[in-house]
Amino acid sequence: MNKLLEIKDLVTNFYTYEGVVKAINQVSLEIEKDIVFGLVGESGCGKSVTARSVMRIIQPPGVIEGGEIHFYNDKNDGEKSVDLLQQDEQFMQKLRGSSISMIFQEPNLALNPVLSIGYQIAESFLFHQKQNMSQAVLKDLQNNEYRILPLLRGFLIWCYAKSLEADKSGSLNLINKIPLLKNWDYLLHAEAKKRSLVILEKLGIANVERIFDAYPHNLSGGMKQRIVIALALACHPVLLIADEATSNLDVTVQAQILELLIELKKDTISSIILITHDLGIVAETCDRAGVMYAGNVCEVADVNELFNNPRHPYTKALLNSVPKFTQKDKLETIPGFVPNLVTPPSGCRFHPRCPECFDLCKTRTPVLQDIKQRHQVACHLYD
Amino acid sequence: MRTYILRRLFFLTFVLLGVSVIMFSLLMTFSPERRAMVYVTTPQQAKDIPSLIKRYGFDQPFYKQYGRWAKEVASGNFGYSLVASRPVSEAFWIYFPVSLELALYAAPCIIIFGIWMGTRAGRHRNSGFDHFSRVFSIIGWSLPTFLFALVLLMVFYGYTNWFPPGILSDESSLYIIEHPEKFVRYTGLYSIDGILNGNLSIALDSLRHLVLPVITLTVVVCAILMRVMRSGMIEEMSKDYVTTARAKGVDENTILIKHARRNALIPVITVAGTLVALLMEGSVAVEIIFNRQGIGWWLATSAIQLDMPVLMAICLFMGVVFVSVNLIVDILYAVIDPRIRLD
Amino acid sequence: MATQHPALKEFKYTLHRIFKNPTAILGFTLLLFFITVAVMAPYLAPPKYEHNPYKVPHTGFSSIPQPPSAEHPFGTTSGQYDIYYAAVWGTRTSFKIGLFVVSIALLIGVTLGTIAGYYGGLVDEAIMRCVDAFYAIPFLVLAMTIVVAFGRGLDVIMIAIASVAWRNYVRVMRASILTIRDLDYVNAAKLMGVSDFRIMIRHILPNSIFPVMVVASMEIGAYVLIAAFLAFLGLGAPRGYADWGQMIALARNYIVGPPDDPFLYWYTIAIPGGCIVLFVLAWNLIGDALRDAFDPKLRRE
Repeated sequence: MNKLLEIKDLVTNFYTYEGVVKAINQVSLEIEKDIVFGLVGESGCGKSVTARSVMRIIQPPGVIEGGEIHFYNDKNDGEKSVDLLQQDEQFMQKLRGSSISMIFQEPNLALNPVLSIGYQIAESFLFHQKQNMSQAVLKDLQNNEYRILPLLRGFLIWCYAKSLEADKSGSLNLINKIPLLKNWDYLLHAEAKKRSLVILEKLGIANVERIFDAYPHNLSGGMKQRIVIALALACHPVLLIADEATSNLDVTVQAQILELLIELKKDTISSIILITHDLGIVAETCDRAGVMYAGNVCEVADVNELFNNPRHPYTKALLNSVPKFTQKDKLETIPGFVPNLVTPPSGCRFHPRCPECFDLCKTRTPVLQDIKQRHQVACHLYD
Repeated sequence: MRTYILRRLFFLTFVLLGVSVIMFSLLMTFSPERRAMVYVTTPQQAKDIPSLIKRYGFDQPFYKQYGRWAKEVASGNFGYSLVASRPVSEAFWIYFPVSLELALYAAPCIIIFGIWMGTRAGRHRNSGFDHFSRVFSIIGWSLPTFLFALVLLMVFYGYTNWFPPGILSDESSLYIIEHPEKFVRYTGLYSIDGILNGNLSIALDSLRHLVLPVITLTVVVCAILMRVMRSGMIEEMSKDYVTTARAKGVDENTILIKHARRNALIPVITVAGTLVALLMEGSVAVEIIFNRQGIGWWLATSAIQLDMPVLMAICLFMGVVFVSVNLIVDILYAVIDPRIRLD
Repeated sequence: MATQHPALKEFKYTLHRIFKNPTAILGFTLLLFFITVAVMAPYLAPPKYEHNPYKVPHTGFSSIPQPPSAEHPFGTTSGQYDIYYAAVWGTRTSFKIGLFVVSIALLIGVTLGTIAGYYGGLVDEAIMRCVDAFYAIPFLVLAMTIVVAFGRGLDVIMIAIASVAWRNYVRVMRASILTIRDLDYVNAAKLMGVSDFRIMIRHILPNSIFPVMVVASMEIGAYVLIAAFLAFLGLGAPRGYADWGQMIALARNYIVGPPDDPFLYWYTIAIPGGCIVLFVLAWNLIGDALRDAFDPKLRRE
């Protein structure tokens, strides 16, 4: 079983003043383990909304209204999956940042300006690896690490043991309210700092100690994006979603970040979903790709197959419109405009702009079907 | 950081200077007789106006008169207060502790209540609590302070006699007058002096008289504070770093308190100066209605009697308060927002 | 789908945003009500003194307020002044105060703000330092000082408040102008040789005036409140003038009635007080709705 994430018939709507925006219209995707999956499409086609629906961080007025999202992450039984749309918020909070992580487009705004970098990275560890770290600290304490008085050692051992036993302990709550004693978790923070420095080094950042204490405005854009990646990878997620993560960076920095992501994929993450509108990045870094248009998936295939044998008219037009080095005449465009998703076109949403449109296209929405092994298209031409 | 503070200090001295110029310009619109009253410190001097006019040279150019007046002010001579029957500089220390006491109890109530309400309203926008808080804010902003105070007095004193006006009850006042050796006036704040003297009943009596004034001030000032806090929270919660925190798996509560609120406090601190001004304005009405002889009461009573020197002195005083508050605000900025520290 | 003219669509959207709030509708209704009362004042409460309709008629001199009766629909206050008459004509007084103050303050504030924002440099610094000095003293205190300096009277109150109120508009206007001044279309006009004055009037002013209008509508309420308090203290018009603040002042000694019926004289405070609160509420609701409608961050939900 090689599936990691399976999205089935996802529907997400936004209820705005102008009407209901049907942003995602029955999207189905399958992401396998150990690949880089590229999600391509124009601005506004629903790539980001799909990703955020998977993470369930869609804010009102957006609502996820239908479908299933199966996440296969059970280490014991590869067949078992959880439907993310059925889980409660607490489950999702545990999942986000530790099993599935997401990085965003604008690194300059992604970090909290009033909190230090170190705090923001350590926060991930303190949220997701508290048990783990408490155990480590407890073991260290019991092995007589740290130079502290026996009385303090006893007290700390008791605190950490207690915190491992029960989630909400009455006595710990009490201690947390007493001014000096409530700092018993300083060792936890020290451990979190240690782990943060490790992940920062892994990202090729120099002077990690200094960066740990610095603030976001002290760093450059590329540096900030690395920090954001460090945040995302801190707890070793299985799936990383990069939502246009390199679109706002200089081309050279872009190349560095992409290389870094591929490098990290080798030992930490399993799969990456790379959301982009840049076909060049898809060709260079992705193994498999899916093309989206106006809230629908048009075509999914391995990258080589997709670029050499595009089937969907939109994919073909998209590939055509990329300027080629040897091109001598006019640039190709796709006539028409991206549709208004409050009143999308009936049937296939691409039909008003499709050169090969016929009657069925205007009435019935095409569904993704296999036309070859590992190559699916949603088009009536291939019914 | 040090240059930042020094720069602010320099700027704020300028402001004080500006205030004094405004005050003095107002003064210059008077006839010489009225102007002379500003320099009078005893009732005897008041009888001898013509020689005063000659002595202070009211026919001299503007800047020379300003210089003379500024010298007087700098040496602590602000004129004579009809209401207090003593020089302004002396009268000030009688009235100041009363207002200070009021402010001391009102400020924490305002801060805690306003920030809590604003955070909660901003988090659940358009919820029941949010609507309630907005109604509270709008009505608090539309109420004349003096009217609200009057109504509170009517209900909680007239109808139920729980919280009387004044600073102390008659018994307590009599006790203090009759036993001067048992009650030493350390600070002038009766609630604190009561404790310092070991006299709990006076302290409690003073607190009882403070309840209604503090409630009035809290409602009036919180109306604004809450609104600024709320809009700050709404704005921060829609920012990108909140999305990042969510994607990290941080729970909503922590995002609200540890991430968003810190940023939302920055615009709140910006209006801290306005809030303090509102507090001072509000205390004028509160002190008059509840019959507490503080700076606000002094101001209003002197105004009714058209006693100019007092008003000018109080304006200068409030200018000093404003300047100090701004300095504190600037320091707070540097503490909360690391981006400012590099200045 | 029919395409509307973008300006019309935006205007309709703005109207929708303003009236989306039920409170905005309430505010406008209240304001309309007060405008009606003010306009119809001579008919609703025929003046007793032809030369001065603002003088409230008083039948007798007794200082004990009388409860509402057929002759006096809202009762009389201390000195036997008819509360109904005072409430009706007080509406006109309040409008006078609010509109006068706001016009003068806007005139001064917008002019100074435009000059400061547009020319920048030393002019900007000088003007803003002056404004800072005016900001250092609370509104009420400064207004009181000015009134005391020039003597009692309703017109003195209005001038005094206007003399302080302009300080807010300078800042808002200047901030607005700073945003617009460096936009490309202004630079384009400059390059074409359009005179500074024309640029200010035709390009910058229309676009930057909105935040100022929002602030103005929110502030009118504050002006009326301050005027009411000053009148309450006795610094306003002479006794017997139709002014809500004054009416409350007359009731000062009768807030709490005799021990067995403390609310006996409720109408002496409740009616003029209610008028003030509703009037200020109307302006505040409108200002609030305008602010929500024009705030770009809250615009697109």
